[in-house]
Amino acid sequence: MKEMSQMITIDLNGQQQPLPADSAISDLLAIVGSDGKSVAVVVNECIIRPEQRSTHKLYAGDCVELLMFAGGG
Amino acid sequence: MDSLQIGSYYFSSRLILGTGKFSNSTVMLDAVRASGAQLVTVALRRFNREQAEDDLFGPLSEIEGVTLMPNTSGASTAAEAVRAAHIARELSGSPFIKVEIHPNPQHLMPDPIETFEAARILVQDGFLVMPYIAADPVLAKRLEEIGCASVMPLGSAIGSGQGLATSEMLNIIIRESGIPVIVDAGLRSPSEAAHAMEMGCEAVLVNSAIAVAGDPPAMAEAFAEGVKAGRKAFRAGLMQRSGSAIATSPLTFLGS
Repeated sequence: MKEMSQMITIDLNGQQQPLPADSAISDLLAIVGSDGKSVAVVVNECIIRPEQRSTHKLYAGDCVELLMFAGGG
Repeated sequence: MDSLQIGSYYFSSRLILGTGKFSNSTVMLDAVRASGAQLVTVALRRFNREQAEDDLFGPLSEIEGVTLMPNTSGASTAAEAVRAAHIARELSGSPFIKVEIHPNPQHLMPDPIETFEAARILVQDGFLVMPYIAADPVLAKRLEEIGCASVMPLGSAIGSGQGLATSEMLNIIIRESGIPVIVDAGLRSPSEAAHAMEMGCEAVLVNSAIAVAGDPPAMAEAFAEGVKAGRKAFRAGLMQRSGSAIATSPLTFLGS
C-alpha cells in the first residue's frame, strides 16, 4: 500500500475529520468545499497565512479551525 | 467637514451598522447601502459546508466605502477575545476591533474586567480597540487611559429596544471623554438615535432595530437621517431647559 492512501484523523472545528496522510491545508479546504478566500485557518492555535496553506502539512491529531465572518452586531 | 475620527481614520457617516439578525444577506446588504454606513460590524463563526455560501466578507467588501469592524462576540474571557481579534484581523485586514465579552447569554451584559484586560492587550498589539461596555464613566475613563480608540457604552441591553435607559451615565461619559463615545445597543427608533447624537455621542451602532424592521433598508435610511439631524442639532447648540415659561411674543401690547 502506498503511503498516500493512508488516512489520518484530524480535529476540524471540534469534529473528527478523516484526511489522506500527507495532506496540506489547501487539500483540506478543497475537501470541505471552501475556496479559502474568506476563511481563516488556525492550526493548533496558530494562524496559518494564505501563502502557507499549500505547504503546511497536517498530521494526525492536529486541531484545525476554519472561521469565517457572519452577521453580528 | 464634520467627520467622525477614530484613530487616524475619518468617516462622514456616524451610523455604524450591525449585520446580525437580518432575514437574509440580500436584505442586509441593501440595508448597509441604504444606511450609508462606512463602518459595519461582523462576527466570527465556524465554517461549515452547508453555509459556505453565506460568506459576508466578499459582498460587504464590494460595497464602496465600507470598512469592517469585526467583533469578538462569543468570547467569554479576555484570552478568547484576543484570539478572536487576531483571527478577525487576519481575515479582514481591518485595524478596528469591537471588543465584546458577555459571558451570560441571559442579559448579555459586558464583563468589565475581561473587557479591560482584552483591550489592554489589543491596544499593545496595534488594534484600534472599540470596547462594548456598560455605561460606566470610571471604566470608560480607564479604557481611554490605556489607549482605546473609542468607548461604546450601551443604551440598554442588546436587542432589547429599550432605548437610552442609561442616559444620565452616558451624559457623564460624554462630558469626560477625550475619545469618541459611541452608543451601542438598545436603540429602537431613529428618534432615539437622534437623541443620542444631540447628547454629544460621536456615533451610534444599530443592529436589531434595523434588522427586524418591516422594511430594513427603509429603516436604515430613517436611522441615517435621525443620526444626521441629531448631530446637526448638537453642533447648532440646543437651548437651555427652563423651569418656567419664557415668552416668545410680547405680552404687553393689547392688555396694558
